[in-house]
Amino acid sequence: MDFAIKFVFDIAAFTSVMVLIVLGLGVIASMMGIFNFAHGELVLLGAYTVYLCDEHGMGAWTGVILAPFVVGAVGFVLERTIIRRFYATPIIAMLGTYAIGLIIREIVRGLLGGHYKAIPEPISGAFAIGGMEFSIWRSFIIATTLAVIAGCYLLLSRTSIGLRVRGALENPMLARACGISTGRLYALTFAFGAALAGLAGALIVPLYALSADIGIRFLVQAFLSVMLGGVGTFEGPVLGAAAVGGMAAGLPWVVIPVLADPLVFVIALAIVRLRPQGFITVGRL
Amino acid sequence: MSVATGTTAMRQTGVRSKPLPLLPFIELVMLAALVATPFVLASRPELITLMTNVLILSLLALSFDLCWGFSGIMSYGQALFFGVAGYVVALVGRDLDFSQMWGTLPLAMLIGALLAAALAAFLLLGRKTPTSIFVAFGTLTGAYAAERLVAGWQYVGAGNGLSSIKLMALGSYEFVEGFEFYSVALAALVIFYLLSRMIARSQLGLVLAGMRQNEERLAFFGYRVQVFKALIFTFSGAIAGLSGALYSYHQGFTGPTNLGPGLSTTAVIYCLFGGSGTLIGPVIGTIAIELLSYVLADTDAIRQFWPVILGVVLLVVVMFQPTGLLGLVVSARERIGSFGARRRAG
Repeated sequence: MDFAIKFVFDIAAFTSVMVLIVLGLGVIASMMGIFNFAHGELVLLGAYTVYLCDEHGMGAWTGVILAPFVVGAVGFVLERTIIRRFYATPIIAMLGTYAIGLIIREIVRGLLGGHYKAIPEPISGAFAIGGMEFSIWRSFIIATTLAVIAGCYLLLSRTSIGLRVRGALENPMLARACGISTGRLYALTFAFGAALAGLAGALIVPLYALSADIGIRFLVQAFLSVMLGGVGTFEGPVLGAAAVGGMAAGLPWVVIPVLADPLVFVIALAIVRLRPQGFITVGRL
Repeated sequence: MSVATGTTAMRQTGVRSKPLPLLPFIELVMLAALVATPFVLASRPELITLMTNVLILSLLALSFDLCWGFSGIMSYGQALFFGVAGYVVALVGRDLDFSQMWGTLPLAMLIGALLAAALAAFLLLGRKTPTSIFVAFGTLTGAYAAERLVAGWQYVGAGNGLSSIKLMALGSYEFVEGFEFYSVALAALVIFYLLSRMIARSQLGLVLAGMRQNEERLAFFGYRVQVFKALIFTFSGAIAGLSGALYSYHQGFTGPTNLGPGLSTTAVIYCLFGGSGTLIGPVIGTIAIELLSYVLADTDAIRQFWPVILGVVLLVVVMFQPTGLLGLVVSARERIGSFGARRRAG
């Protein structure tokens, strides 16, 4: 029983990170139809911000708080200068964003000098409930993720910005005709997705040591999650991330680990092929 | 009567004033240059090795061009066929002690073609027509999953890959790096270039050109566009397989990165830089990028940031010059090509 709870906790912590990454990716894919190959590098930038703050004596905490804003700003600039040219050609957008990702990743790799940098957990230690120990930082990740999901949901469903976003998603032409500046909304959406990636990067960097490849390992899984859940919905990517994260954590217990890893991708891909519209089809935002 | 002759004369001038086709000229120049290369570089064996590598990678870029430039599949999976074929010839050499090129090279092509056919059947064929985004992700996921599988599989050397692969042989002759291997690679490139060119200029190529213009319209005409895509994809898989086998033999080594999306994307960069949809573009792109990389690799500071340069090149190409280098000199009309016998005035 103890073991089972511990297991569920670990899966929940891993899935939370996936959800944060996938949420940003999903928001961008839903709004603009662009699958952002540079998303992993936005995660990396978030992690790198924490490292820089830690290095310059400002403390990792400052970094965690700064990361979403810094990466959000980077995302805003990227959208205004480059990404916006690709809205009409989503396939070319994949290549364009891949190139951006490659540039960011390799520059950071050069700056890090190819080393792995360990970042201490801003709040280390563990707390005990009923004789079981839980890492505080992992609990913090889960709590933050839940807060972000709730915040996103409220933002989309209760505010006037959310109404405009939903309008632009439903029918961009009509939204423009109604005087909603979709261009500005797209820029804000991209910045918001980037900020989520930055936050995810900041949260995971104490768990995995900082290296240039910290973000890219999640990328393919995140893409599959978005497609699995359904592009154009809010709940879809979250559910998809939970499904992929759960599979990735659970499958090694069923089949040998060497097979489990690729099997996750194959199963997810097969589901998407059979159900291209995703899990969620009713109540699209 | 005189009126009739007048029209004929006019039509003939019309034909004559058509600009000379540039592409065949470029193709011939490239062929001549590649044939002359080993003789010019006879005193620099390391450069011949480099050029052999470039030729083999050109085949990979060519196979990607067939997918993207001719049938609109953004394939991140070319490296999958390339890598698996490379692993298969390495394993056949290690476990069966067999490396005769008349056996292993066709085997590699068969493996590439079968893999591509299976992937195409899964991704393209079926009752529900897939979106092009899904196909792109399908190939990406395939390559990524294969890389992860191979990187953890002890039988095929796991993360270390397979080294000291048995040399490619013909009878009792064994091919090492150098002039002979260069000739084999060049022959393979020329044969499959011509075959691809023939397909692109055939009636099948006409369908493909129609699909590029308006896929839906072709579908309404009754063409099963997904089947045509699957056919070209399979053919490109065979070429990628051949390329992978030659690469393994030439390097004497193959590893998990040869299977992954990273190499696929490099092939994409080769092709787009040279100019996709032209067949000769990817060859030019591969040569240009690999030579640039060779020249720049001398400086330590630049070598470290070479991937950044590649990224900038890709970004600039997709943003400002989607038709690549060849797009600068060759007109759109010529890139698309003409089909069937030209009607002579009469």
